[in-house]
Amino acid sequence: MSGANDGRTLKFHILKYDPQQGGDKPRMVTYEVKEAPGMTIFIALNEIRETQDRALQFDFVCRAGICGSCGMVINGKPDLACRTLTAKFKKPEITLLPLPAFDLIGDLSVNTGSYTRAMSERVRTWIHDEEGKQVDLNELEERMDPDLADEIYELDRCIECGCCISACATKRMRDGFLGAMGFMKVARFAVDSRDKRSDSDWYEVIGNDDGVFGCMSLMGCEDNCPKDLPHQTKIAYLRRKMVGAAR
Amino acid sequence: MKTVFADSLIIGGGLAGLRTAIATRTRGLDTIVLSLIPAKRSHSAAAQGGMQGSLAATIKGEGDNENVHFADTVKGSDWGCDQQVARMFANTAPKAVRELATWGVPWTRVRRGPRQVVINAERVTITEKDDNHGLISARDFGGTRKWRTCYTADGTGHTMLYAVDNKAIEFGIAVHERKEAIALIHDGSTCYGAVVRDLITGELIAYVARATTIATGGYGRLYAISTNSVISEGMGTAIALETGVASLGNMEAVQFHPTAIVPVGILTTEGCRGDGGLLKDKDGYRFMPDYEPGKKELASRDVVSRRMTEHMRKGKGVASPYGDHLWLDITLLGKEHIEKNLREVKEICEYFLGIDPVKEYIPVRPTQHYSMGGIRTKPTGESRQLSGLFAAGEVSCWDMHGFNRLGGNSVAETIVAGMIVGEYVADYCERSSVDIPTSVVRAFVMREEAAITEIIGRSGEDPYELKREMQQIMMEKVGIFRMGSDLQEAVDGLRGLLLRSRNITVRNKARHSNPELVEAIRVPKMIKLALTVACGALARTESRGAHAREDYPERNDRDWLNRTLSWWKDEKDDLPVLEYENLDVMSMEMPPGTRGYGKANMIAHPDTEKRVKQIEEIKESMPNADRFEVQRAIMPYDLPEKYQGKNERVGVGFE
Amino acid sequence: MKDLVESVRSPVPAWLDVTQSVTGLVLAVFMWIHLFLVSSILLGKDAMYYVTGFFELRFLTDWQHGYPVLVSIIAIGVFAIFILHAGIALRKFPVSWRQHRIIRDQMRTMKHSDTNLWYYQAITGFVMFFLGSVHIYVMASHPDKIGPYASSDRFVSEHFWPLYLVLLVAVELHATIGMYRLAVKWITFGGKDPRRTRKRLKVLKNALTVFFLTVGAATFVTYMKIGLEHRDQAGERYSPATRHSSVQSQQVGDE
Ligand SMILES: Cc1cc2nc3c(=O)[nH]c(=O)nc-3n(C[C@H](O)[C@H](O)[C@H](O)COP(=O)(O)OP(=O)(O)OC[C@H]3O[C@@H](n4cnc5c(N)ncnc54)[C@H](O)[C@@H]3O)c2cc1C
Ligand code: HEM
Ligand code: HEM
Ligand code: SF4
Ligand code: F3S
Ligand code: FES
Repeated sequence: MSGANDGRTLKFHILKYDPQQGGDKPRMVTYEVKEAPGMTIFIALNEIRETQDRALQFDFVCRAGICGSCGMVINGKPDLACRTLTAKFKKPEITLLPLPAFDLIGDLSVNTGSYTRAMSERVRTWIHDEEGKQVDLNELEERMDPDLADEIYELDRCIECGCCISACATKRMRDGFLGAMGFMKVARFAVDSRDKRSDSDWYEVIGNDDGVFGCMSLMGCEDNCPKDLPHQTKIAYLRRKMVGAAR
Repeated sequence: MKTVFADSLIIGGGLAGLRTAIATRTRGLDTIVLSLIPAKRSHSAAAQGGMQGSLAATIKGEGDNENVHFADTVKGSDWGCDQQVARMFANTAPKAVRELATWGVPWTRVRRGPRQVVINAERVTITEKDDNHGLISARDFGGTRKWRTCYTADGTGHTMLYAVDNKAIEFGIAVHERKEAIALIHDGSTCYGAVVRDLITGELIAYVARATTIATGGYGRLYAISTNSVISEGMGTAIALETGVASLGNMEAVQFHPTAIVPVGILTTEGCRGDGGLLKDKDGYRFMPDYEPGKKELASRDVVSRRMTEHMRKGKGVASPYGDHLWLDITLLGKEHIEKNLREVKEICEYFLGIDPVKEYIPVRPTQHYSMGGIRTKPTGESRQLSGLFAAGEVSCWDMHGFNRLGGNSVAETIVAGMIVGEYVADYCERSSVDIPTSVVRAFVMREEAAITEIIGRSGEDPYELKREMQQIMMEKVGIFRMGSDLQEAVDGLRGLLLRSRNITVRNKARHSNPELVEAIRVPKMIKLALTVACGALARTESRGAHAREDYPERNDRDWLNRTLSWWKDEKDDLPVLEYENLDVMSMEMPPGTRGYGKANMIAHPDTEKRVKQIEEIKESMPNADRFEVQRAIMPYDLPEKYQGKNERVGVGFE
Repeated sequence: MKDLVESVRSPVPAWLDVTQSVTGLVLAVFMWIHLFLVSSILLGKDAMYYVTGFFELRFLTDWQHGYPVLVSIIAIGVFAIFILHAGIALRKFPVSWRQHRIIRDQMRTMKHSDTNLWYYQAITGFVMFFLGSVHIYVMASHPDKIGPYASSDRFVSEHFWPLYLVLLVAVELHATIGMYRLAVKWITFGGKDPRRTRKRLKVLKNALTVFFLTVGAATFVTYMKIGLEHRDQAGERYSPATRHSSVQSQQVGDE
């Protein structure tokens, strides 16, 4: 276990701001925490809240790096706070900011939920099968190529943490831009043989400057995705496909 | 007073809640889902290993069917489950898996031809049939006779939850996020909805509905260390308890998972052992075969957890600053397998332990994992006392798991319960009238409003402090092995905390988004739940499934073949009221027997022999009947019509 | 939502994106060739002289200035592509102050190299828009005034050197970043680990930048040196030594 640095005193510089509190202004507040072996930012923030600042807001659910709740900007990089060990930082200074590009609830807590729902509705992130198709659940399921199943899973691993959205300057500059999370969803459903949407259907979703043609290939998405999704290859693929579907 | 109306109100946006919502929405009902967090972040996403459903497509699942699944489930429950519910479940689970396949879950599929697997520490080649290529595959899991656990690598819960939530979005189901139900609205016989606190604005809202379904998951966080997500605090169970009317079932049945990492308690899936991983002690010695020569590492969870604890008590644990632990060795599975099928496990090891499981052992120990107990319901999912109140998923005790749940049966339960209970909820909504007494609604909202004002206003106890003490008591005294004296201390200690919690307050006085206030509202409820667990455990003087009394090591069917029910009848009470509901041996399809672990240590029920004989006779009396007819003759059960069909399996058709 | 999306369906965004990339590619390839041609001065004045001549199709004629109008035509063609490219790319510029602040803020907090690269690309593009236009205008309007002395004189005596210096840095950065971006935009990186492929590509991109900047700087220095030496005779045209001896003509200054 990473006990190499225990005994350090960590300085957390945290953005504090409560938009619901009239007159409150965003400001950085510094908290000191004694580092313990195996300490994660999750552990440290809870300790700070319990012992120093009861009002401090942040979100954790699984605390295991799988639910995508705890994205924040950690020393400049959007990442999952729950699985970030404090020992990772050579300097005992850790700056925490809420993910930009999302509505701020307070301090480090942002509203990713309203965002992802809107994204899902825009991309229509569900299987579009043939119209009127009735599946009899008693019968053998439709077969699927095992490799295809694996390939879909690779893309289905996105946890909607929003790191790619916050890391994308394009998204931040242009509100209407779909963003990498959306592209990964499109890629996921486009590869799925159960989804019958054609390239032309997809063109309606992402064949515009708020879609794949608006992506400026900044790669902040790929470089900050905690689940290592293949953004570059998939966005390039979608771009080519959409050029093919342009009419 | 802000009021929101719906036909079907679902509290909880995990697998169970969403699937129930889809069921009622499909029936044309106006459906609203409440969740503390965005639905896709629900704890269900954490399930890694898989979902049981007897599809029998892999060669190692050949011969599997509802009967085998049913039998495994009953055995796993240590005969504590409701066998009719287990039957309903076993018949619906394959349909659930198949439905999810059409909704987009990328189930890992069978690949024709030979492949290497690790079974009992040896590399074995199994050959999948050509005919089965492309069907949904399955892996081995503890306590099952066949490979039955369908999976997507080790992200099963995640892919399931995403598919189901996406379906809910397709249906336009409203999910009201960052909303917490803090009380149920009822008049002593019917439930009318819930008082809900908006976690952002702090506003109290009355959600009024014809039917209210609780699907809030487990209460793992009563324990300091748990594999559960930090929001698995049992609030749904608690608000049902606080009605004083609805009962909870088997709250003492708490499962400990053998392999959570030390110290943080994050789970490494049972799939690690299912795929061939081994448990080793401080000498690198594989000890499970000594205890369980048959199933070894793949014995039922409760059994493995106890064996591990026993072994550590013998001084064979690995000492660490966080207490003793053992090793989970998956190095023998090889890099390729781990990187493909156990990737989340690999990530967890890398991020939280800084080790590479391809080369190093993983430090593990048994950790709180699952809540078999919960809101007691009928097989329809409806509370036995409050009409219009339903429960589905981990929060419920309808009671499919009895005293121990099998791995892979839980996410399966969430979907199956959603399908079945959802239909019954819809039936109820269609039947029920709409006249809802506004005065009752208003009274409940005002009561909660006043309680919050009081919490903010007074000076008194610190919620974090109380919570910590409660969790500590539960860890130390209501754990894997239980003793009468410890449990008594636990009850006393918790009772003290309960009294103190009546004076709980907050330092941060904000009424809107205020994490401390959230704690202050929850902690007294959690302490009540903890008391139902501790009291139930103290009273149950036998060992059954996950409930292991060192002072009463035998399973006592004669006196304890029953279900614990607990109530909180009066707000001013400081202990729950316990009652027992007998399990009727004479109507069981599978009369109590041994689970086949260790040496059989049990006191038989007087009816058991009689029932065994009776069943023999029934079977003999119908020599030409197929297995379905025989089953129906022995133990008939109900199921919504749409789920009554037989399940097709490759090679055997609908047989 | 669906209606909204459908109502804006149009193939134009796709064409624009392709056009932006194709024009970028053409320009980048042109610029690399251009640099090699211009840097022929490194091999000596004669080399540059012949290169110039080649483009004027001087070898087809028996008088010495060939058809400088060809240079004008090339310049106008390039200018058209240049403007087309810039015009399309301008859509992506941070147009408002707010957007500009956001990207600066993003760069400051995240320190993400590909994002920074894009910003450099936009800035250099912006710079080129003006300086490049001037340069091409000069080339198109005085196509005959290209040669070892004439060009060097432009650097020094006509005070073009600051423009070239800035333009040089801008174009070399912009072109290599642009080529890297083209690859990222359109190619599905193969291999087991596409991320590594991209990392390697970036190393290659950096190497190219350094290479072109070095060649460009050496060229720049050479023109400056010639220009300085030739300052007193500014306006005089170069005639190659070989040509002097083989051809009888006395028409000095006719390059
Ligand atoms: C690490 C781990 C791995 C697991 N792996 C497996 C496995 O491989 N196979 C298997 O079968 N089972 C597994 N399980 C168990 C299984 O995941 C859970 O039992 C199951 O997902 C529970 O689902 P649920 O829908 O009942 O509740 P949850 O998914 O817990 O959802 C609860 C929902 O209720 C909401 N909620 C809670 N309280 C309130 C309130 N007061 N007001 C409003 N909303 C509220 C929450 O926001 C959430 O949306 C695992 C469990 C853990 C901990
Ligand atoms: C008027 C001057 C120019 C401006 C304003 C300009 C601007 C830009 C901008 C902003 C981009 C990024 C577009 C995006 O990310 O989508 C870009 C891309 C590019 N530019 Fe330029 N540029 C100019 C001239 C040039 C020149 C002279 C070259 C050749 C050397 C060039 C080569 C490229 C290339 C190869 C790309 C990548 C194409 C793409 O992203 O599709 N540009 N340019
Ligand atoms: C067809 C169009 C072009 C022609 C004919 C042309 C020709 C030349 C010539 C002859 C020179 C030598 C200096 C001189 O004579 O002034 C030169 C230098 C230069 N040109 Fe161009 N050019 C063209 C387009 C461009 C464009 C589009 C750019 C960039 C946007 C550019 C950037 C430069 C730079 C940076 C130098 C200086 C090189 C150095 O110092 O190494 N040119 N060009
Ligand atoms: S693509 Fe990656 S970074 Fe983006 S939301 Fe999904 S998991 Fe997070
Ligand atoms: S960071 Fe943004 S611009 Fe495109 S490549 Fe990723 S979405
Ligand atoms: S809390 Fe779930 S990913 Fe961090």
